Amino acid sequence: MKLTDLTNRELISTELKGSTQKEIIDEMIEKLDGVGVLKSKRKFRKAIEKREEEGSTGIGFGIAIPHGKSKAVTSPQVAFGIKREGVDWKSADGSLAKLIFMIAVPEESAGNEHLKILQMLSRKLMNEEFRESLIHVQTTDDAYKLLEEIE
Amino acid sequence: MKLLAITSCPNGIAHTYMAAENLQKTAEKLGVSIKVETQGSIGVENEFTADEIEAADGIIIAADKTVDKSRFVGKRLFETGVQDGIHKAEDLIKRFETGNVPVYKGDHQSTINKLKEERKSKQNPVYRHLMNGVSYMIPFVVVGGLLIALALALGGEPTDTGLAIPEGSMWNKVLSVGAAGFTFMVPILAGFIAMSIADRPGLAPGMIGGYIAANGSFYDSEAGAGFLGGILAGFVAGYVAKWIKTWPIPKMLQPIMPILVIPLLASLAVASLFIFIVGAPIASLMDGLTAFLNGMQGASSIVLALLLGAMISFDMGGPVNKVAFLFGASMIGAGNTEVMGAIAAAICVPPLAMGVATLLNKKKYEEAEQEAGKAALAMGLVGITEGAIPFAAKDPLRVIPSIMVGSMLASVIAMLGNVGNNVPHGGPVVAVLGAITNPVMYFIGILAGVFVAAFMVNVLKKNV
Repeated sequence: MKLTDLTNRELISTELKGSTQKEIIDEMIEKLDGVGVLKSKRKFRKAIEKREEEGSTGIGFGIAIPHGKSKAVTSPQVAFGIKREGVDWKSADGSLAKLIFMIAVPEESAGNEHLKILQMLSRKLMNEEFRESLIHVQTTDDAYKLLEEIE
Repeated sequence: MKLLAITSCPNGIAHTYMAAENLQKTAEKLGVSIKVETQGSIGVENEFTADEIEAADGIIIAADKTVDKSRFVGKRLFETGVQDGIHKAEDLIKRFETGNVPVYKGDHQSTINKLKEERKSKQNPVYRHLMNGVSYMIPFVVVGGLLIALALALGGEPTDTGLAIPEGSMWNKVLSVGAAGFTFMVPILAGFIAMSIADRPGLAPGMIGGYIAANGSFYDSEAGAGFLGGILAGFVAGYVAKWIKTWPIPKMLQPIMPILVIPLLASLAVASLFIFIVGAPIASLMDGLTAFLNGMQGASSIVLALLLGAMISFDMGGPVNKVAFLFGASMIGAGNTEVMGAIAAAICVPPLAMGVATLLNKKKYEEAEQEAGKAALAMGLVGITEGAIPFAAKDPLRVIPSIMVGSMLASVIAMLGNVGNNVPHGGPVVAVLGAITNPVMYFIGILAGVFVAAFMVNVLKKNV
């Protein structure tokens, strides 16, 4: 399994439109809904918001990974978006979030292969070179190719 | 320097692993050895062993979720949020180099847990597996034994073939329920010994092996191999299953190993052992002992009593016990009731002695054993020798010799006192039902045997 099994080109956006954390969350939820993995946008948004309340998912280094585990999710999926100007995500190190990964995980699911893949994504994001390459991609295809490396 | 770190976050999807990755990278950069245990939604990965904790110079906990710290009592430990693992890994690691980290003393409970854990890890593994089996078996012995005791005491009538409970009576049903409990005794013992050795794949072969061990019909023997056979079955099933686990197996087959291949092969192995190897010697042992006892009839009645007492307690319901019991029963038919009188006194000594022993010195018995001791007393009163099995299975080398000495003494006193018994059953209950001639000497024999065995076993046993 690779990360690209959990995402596709429609879920990748090299220019996010929203200019606040809330707008970007909404925008990415729409994308996930567009590929049909959400039973209820409202319930999934709640899961995302609840996680942000427990502590910001802005992990610094210009990255935010809003994620929600919810019954409203039918299969694990990852959306990726770039906001070049950055957006305030209340990050621990005060940096603006530029690379945003939204992760949707079902409450219960068979096996944990998808969790392993998400673990690999998390570990890969700690790699500075990988972050640099991601922020500089111009096209959806380039981004897709980079994410394909995660397996 | 050797460090250990635990990372954990609320959802266990992302931060846990970011912090782990960062701690590993930073440690590598600083030339520090680190192992990071992740407690995420996949479960615990990369878990520390007791040796690794022992060898570590310090523990970092970077978690936004409660992490059980009881493993780390006595180690330098620094606890912080998962964010610090992601952003301040270098600070965290250097903190241990500058020596500014206090030793974790633990709360009272975790100190106790750690002591228990240490004691456990120092225990001989064979003993630990045996303990596991016994602890699961105890409730079966207690439930089965108490119901059988109740049914015999309240519904039993002395007859030529033993204490009989009239068919169709309520007590007969109670007896059957109790018997059901006893049926599981040896399979559960064997099953959980095997599970302790080989985890879940060991359970089925252990239970099946235990069932075969307890049922002589599998290997053309009049009696099963008893609890001693069950212990053998449990260890064989467990170690075979564990060994099969080490086979190099193609990845494709791995999913079916724990549910199909290992249980199947290990069950067949333990079954073959009993059917082809252990079975015949048990049957011939029984024949040999029976012939030997028949030859003893002319010899000194005291030697015979000593021998029968020892045999009754040796395996409690196993083949040796059965031979002695059947010999006594056949002597009643031949008109000699004194042999059964001696056996009846010996029969109740093991459970009564172990029950009295738990009352005399609580420090030598765990809580479950103290409860089992009370049940053993009830079983002893109605002549169910099996009540002592949990004690004998757990600590055979100290318990079996003690109860053998007690039974031998009871048996000899009864024989010297010309105690007769015309019902093939043992324990105080047969005297209460009027089957015993010279009941005074019968009770003196039982009491002497019980107290000698109880004192002996408590002297031999160490404190828990």
